[in-house]
Order: sequence, then structure tokens, then C-alpha cells
Amino acid sequence: MAQYLPVLALLLLGSGFAAINLVVSKLVSPSRPTEEKLAPYECGIVPGREPPHRFPVRFYLIAMLFIIFDIEIVFLYPWAVANAGLGRFGLVAILIFSALVFESFIYLISKGALDWGTLQVNRRLSPMVNEDRTVESTVRKVGLVGRFEEVESLKDALIDGNAATDSVPEQDGAAA
Amino acid sequence: MVDAIVFIVSAIIILGGAVGVIFNQNPVHAALSLIASFFGVAVLFILQEVHFLALVQVVVYGGAVVVLFLFVIMLLGVEEIERFDDEPIPGQRAAALIGSVLLLGVILAGLFLSGPGGNRGAVALTGKPSQMVPLTTDPNVVQLANDLFTRNVFAFEATGLLLTIATVGAVVLVKNRGGEDLVVDEPGTSVR
Amino acid sequence: MGGHPFLADGVDFGDVILAVVLALVALVLTLVMTMLMVWFERKVVGRLQNRIGPNVAGPFGLLQTMADGMKLLFKEDLIPAKADKVLFVLAPFLAVVPAFLTFTVVPIAGDFSNGGSGSSTLPGFLGSREFLWQVADVPIGILFFLAMSSLAVYGIVLAGYGSGSKYPLISSVRATAQAISYEAALGLSLAAVFLVSGALSTNQIVLNQVAEGYGGFNFTRWNVVTTGLIPFIVFLIAATAELNRPPFDLVEAEQELVGGFHTEYSSFRFALFFLAEFMNTVTMGGIIVTLFFGGPSGPQLLPLGAFMGFIWFFLKLMVFLFIFVWFRATLPRVRYDQLMDLGWKVLIPISLAWLLMLGGLQLVRSGDLSFVDSTSADLVIVIALGLAIGLLGYAMLNAAIRTSRSERLAEEGLKLIAPKSQDSESLAGHQTGTTQGGH
Repeated sequence: MAQYLPVLALLLLGSGFAAINLVVSKLVSPSRPTEEKLAPYECGIVPGREPPHRFPVRFYLIAMLFIIFDIEIVFLYPWAVANAGLGRFGLVAILIFSALVFESFIYLISKGALDWGTLQVNRRLSPMVNEDRTVESTVRKVGLVGRFEEVESLKDALIDGNAATDSVPEQDGAAA
Repeated sequence: MVDAIVFIVSAIIILGGAVGVIFNQNPVHAALSLIASFFGVAVLFILQEVHFLALVQVVVYGGAVVVLFLFVIMLLGVEEIERFDDEPIPGQRAAALIGSVLLLGVILAGLFLSGPGGNRGAVALTGKPSQMVPLTTDPNVVQLANDLFTRNVFAFEATGLLLTIATVGAVVLVKNRGGEDLVVDEPGTSVR
Repeated sequence: MGGHPFLADGVDFGDVILAVVLALVALVLTLVMTMLMVWFERKVVGRLQNRIGPNVAGPFGLLQTMADGMKLLFKEDLIPAKADKVLFVLAPFLAVVPAFLTFTVVPIAGDFSNGGSGSSTLPGFLGSREFLWQVADVPIGILFFLAMSSLAVYGIVLAGYGSGSKYPLISSVRATAQAISYEAALGLSLAAVFLVSGALSTNQIVLNQVAEGYGGFNFTRWNVVTTGLIPFIVFLIAATAELNRPPFDLVEAEQELVGGFHTEYSSFRFALFFLAEFMNTVTMGGIIVTLFFGGPSGPQLLPLGAFMGFIWFFLKLMVFLFIFVWFRATLPRVRYDQLMDLGWKVLIPISLAWLLMLGGLQLVRSGDLSFVDSTSADLVIVIALGLAIGLLGYAMLNAAIRTSRSERLAEEGLKLIAPKSQDSESLAGHQTGTTQGGH
């Protein structure tokens, strides 16, 4: 029991450190509470409707399952430490115990107790996505978007004689 | 002398925590008092040199069971104050009073009765004095393992079965709620 | 048995003073290491992201953490109106104090070469007390760290609940579920270390990893090798998840969305949470080094005695701190359901199966379990048996997963499609039946 003495010392020193810092912080920091500051934070908007109150039951189940597995792990520790002394008998005993643990684990998984998240239904797509898509329709030469039309309209404008040629800026690199 | 001081301090923590559990209006504060109580029990285990049981006390009780309690409190949103005026089962108060008097009598008998050979209290009841000295020089874990896996193997395997029952019960309890409670705002939790 | 020798035979006033000095040194050391860790992380992440990181406060930005801490000290401390004051104030303590206490079982120095026990003795005028270079060597050893991390969960739970607002509550429940899921995996990989060490006390674990070899040093006795690689990997993953570090830092990612469990915390209370997180990181690195990499043991390259142990410990610790920071800089965040699947369905069965296998192998090596006369044939037999049982378990696990999936699909009115060869007919044939389920 004496071995815990430094632990007790560190416990007292650690909580003392935190407490003293909090006291110092209270002394040196301003205190100007306003109503907005004291309201619960919600991305800066004023909380409108009351958020939903119910909780997924799943968290409760995880906590229960954690207790069960924690107890099982705690049983494993004495065997692990004393394995050499316990010999074959201990190994068989712990194997039976682990088999029981495992079968309860299998039961859990098959019942969907450890399923989180949405159901992933993956559709295997064929390498060819769709017969309608061709190179012409899919691949888009981005650098030329809009440029052919501008050259076309310039040509029309010159023919018509309506365009002001200096209103169309020079396109660099307009070559296809 | 130091043992007595440690015992008294942990007894105060345990009893204070227990009283806090009963008399706290806020259920979360009551759960915290429970943690304090468990911590005191762990210190008592350490005093008795059974270090592994102290660990189990903190990890399983303090670290898992009370977390479950807190989840339930937060899940149900239990915030009301109990009303002590109702008496759901008729005569339950009288029964409780009689029961607690009997319990007190048993505890006092255990403390003060004397048995053969002039032994007092718990020694008279069990015939063996309590030992604060380890039985062998092995660490407590090894002693525990040697006992658990030889003399008490059957109980150990039965515990495995009990844990299986607990697992099945947990799943059945949750499934019977008829599906999930949705938290609509939260990305990442499932719909089903 | 382990334990500080100076506490083993009665405690007098000088022993108490030494215990307090050890605790004080540990306190200062943890705080300094935490400060440096924050700086280290910001610098390294910065460099890995092709930027400089903090370089203004102090030389190379070393005092940046201190500057941030002082800033937080001077900020206004707000307790929200709807908060539960007791819980709001208590939660940072429940986060920080276990972070300090976890450091107690980590040995940071010591001379383990040539059969040394890692202890040092104070000079005669201080009473010739023999002590180990760790704060305490409690009989339950490393499991003390497990107990403290179980208690640290309460810091999260109470912070979220005590904030009096729904979003911190939701975040803290999710963070708690994450923490307890990975605690199971952490505990199982610890059991493998106990198996090969035969003891719980950290001093014993380090002593078991020391062996005479080339120049007084033989790293094949390190637990990372003797337990196989798997418990170490499981422990590393579980530790990263316990620390809420990337790629498992959903708890902090919530800050990009609404706010984590410490949304409502300001000023030094927030600093305490931050401090606790980085202190836990440093301590976890120390524990990994102690459990799997021999702790402060190493060849005495320089004749410094116990201080050489500190150098080795520090070098090994830096490797792991760098690995944690590396994870942060390179890995994307894991989704919550992927996180829980990993913790429950992958890590727990693997570590349990490996633990049993190791137990069997250890018995074969000690001669206790044998089917035929030769030890190596026994090893092969046990490994083959283990593989067979492991494959059986894996098949059962897969069957269970498929059962649960098909049940969920059936509830949604779909059928499970076995992947077969792709051709447009089958694709067209199934297209009416399959939709993206469950959104």
C-alpha cells in the first residue's frame, strides 16, 4: 500500500496545479457577462426550435456491451499473468471461456447490435458505364469552350459590318 | 496507525458517496457520488493488499457501470425530482422500516456477538480471522489466477455463460424498443 | 514483486519527502513535455504541409504554447446560464488529473544493462534510499493506466452534459462511445504483453525485455517481437482512438460542424482540456515505449548510468510522438461507423485470437503442452491448430456479418446480391431491384 504514496502526492499536486491556475485565471480575467455570451452556442445563430431530445438507443447498447466485454477482459488478465504456472488446464479453461465470449460476440454481430451507419448497398458497375456515353459526349475540351463561338460571331460581325472590332479582346492561345 | 487513518478516510468517502446518492436531487450528481463511493471501496481493497480487485472495482464499476448509468440518465433525460408522497405498493414503507431494522440487527450481531474461543464478530461468524498479510509471496493477480483456475473453474465457466445471457438480454431489450430513435440533425448516425 | 525499494520496508518522513519530490519532478516534466509536444506537433504538421509553423514566440517558436496558455489565462471565463455549475467546473479536473496520474507508471530512466534492476540510490547524506525512475511502481502496474483512462472518460461525459446545450451532449456521448469501444481493444492487447512478461508491474515488464546480447543489448527480447507484431499494432490503433487523435478525431471534427464537448468552455478551463489531450498523447507514447520497446533499457553507449536510460527513453518516445503527428498530417478522418466497426468487429477478435495463440505457444515452449516429442513439431502443430480455429472463427464472423446485412436488407425489401460477373443483362436485370438503401 505504501507504493501508492507517490500516486497520492501526484494526485494532490496535479489537482492543486489545476485549481491554482483556475483561481489565478479568475483573478486576472475580466468578467463582463452579457446575455448573448451566456446563451448556448449554435454556430452564432439564435437557437430557434428546440433540438430533438431523443437519443439513439445504440449508445446504451454499446455501454452495456462494454461492461460485458470489460468483465471478460478482466478475467483474461489473471490467466495471462499466471499462464506459465497454470499449464494445460488453465489454457483449456480459458479456451472454453473465450469460446463462450466469442459465441456471444457472434450472436451480437448477427443480430446487428454492432452495426452502425447506413446500409451500404454497393452496386457493382460494369467497366462500361453506359452504352450511350461516347468520347464526344463525355470528353470536353475545356480550353476551347466559348472560343469557337466568339470567333464565329466575330466573323459574322465582320461580314455584317456591325461589330466593333476593338471590343473583342485578343485571345491568347486561341489556337485549337 | 496509518492503516487506521486510511480506513477512516475511505469509510468517510464511501458513506458520504452513498448518502450523496440517496439525497442528491440531480441524478447526475448522484451518479458522481456513486463514483466517489466506488473509489473509496477501491482504496479499502488496496488496504487489504488485494490490488487486482481494486483495479477491477475502478475499471468495471467505476469505468463502465456508472458510464452506463450516465448514458441512461442522459438518454431518458431524467430530470424530475422524485415525489415521495405516493406509495405505489401498499405497506411498502412499513416493510422497509422493518427490513432496515432487521438488517441493522444483523450487522450489529455480526460486529458484537462472540463465538467459540472468545472470537468476536465476523471471526465468530466465519471461523477465520481476516488477513491483511498476503497468503503467499506471489503478487495478488497470480494468487487470484491460481485459485480461480483450479478450485473455482466451474464458477468461472458459469460466469462465461452468465455473460452470454447478459449479452442476449441486452440485445433483446434494445430490439424490443421497436427500432431507433432518430436524431435528425446528426450526420453519421444511422437511420437504421 | 516490484515497487520502489525505499517504500518496501516502512515509510518514514524522508521517504515521504522523496515520494513528494518524485511527484513534483513528474509534474514539471509532464508539463514541459506537453508544452514541447504542442510545439512539436504544430511545427511538424506545418512542415509536412509545406509551411513553417509557429516561429515567432521564442526561438523557433518554442514558447508558442506558453504564449497560448497565458492568453487563455487572461480570457474571460464564461459559465453558460443553462450549465450545471458543479459538473461544468468538475469536468476539466476529471480530464486533467487522470492525465497526470497516467504518467506515474512509466519508467523514464534507469540502468538496465548487465543485469541491473533499473534502480538508483540516493547518496548517503540523503539516506541511501533506493528508488526506481518512475513515480510509482504499483503492484497492478500498467493496469493503473487502464484505470485512469477509464476515469478520464468522465471528463468528456460531464463536460458535454454539464454544458447545458444539446450539441455538446450529443458530441460527448459519441466521444464516450468511441472511448469505451477502443478501451476493450486496448485491454486485450495489454493482456498479450502480460502473457509474455508474466507480471503487471512496469519495472518487471522492462526487465523482461532486457537481455544480454550484442554489446549488452538484444532487441529481439522487446515485447513487440515476442508478442508478434499484432498486439503492438492493435495497441497503437486503439491508443490513437483513445486519445481522440487523427484519424479518429471525430470528436474534434465536430468543431467544424457545431462544436465538440468543450464548445462552451473558455479560458483556462478549455486550456485544461487541451492540456489533458496532449499530456495523454505524451503519456501514451511513453506507455507504448515501455510496453513494447523496452522502455529506458538500451546499451550504455555513453557511460552515464541511469541517465543513459533517459536518453534512450526520450529517443524512443520521440519516434512515437512523431508517428502520432505523422498520422495527423497524412491520414484523412475516419467515419463514425467505420470507427466503431474497426473497434468492435476487427480489433477485438484479432487480439483475442492472437492472445490465445500466444498462450498456447508459450506453453509449448515451456514444455507443458506437447503432442509429440520434438518442440518444433509441437510448435507447428499448435500453430496449425490455431490457424484452423482462427479460420473457423473468421468464417463464423463473416457469416454473422452477412446474416445481419441480409436481415437489414430484408427489412428494406431488398435481396442480397452475390457479386458475380458483370454483363449488361445482369446489371439491367438487377437495376430495378437495387437502390441505394438506407439514406
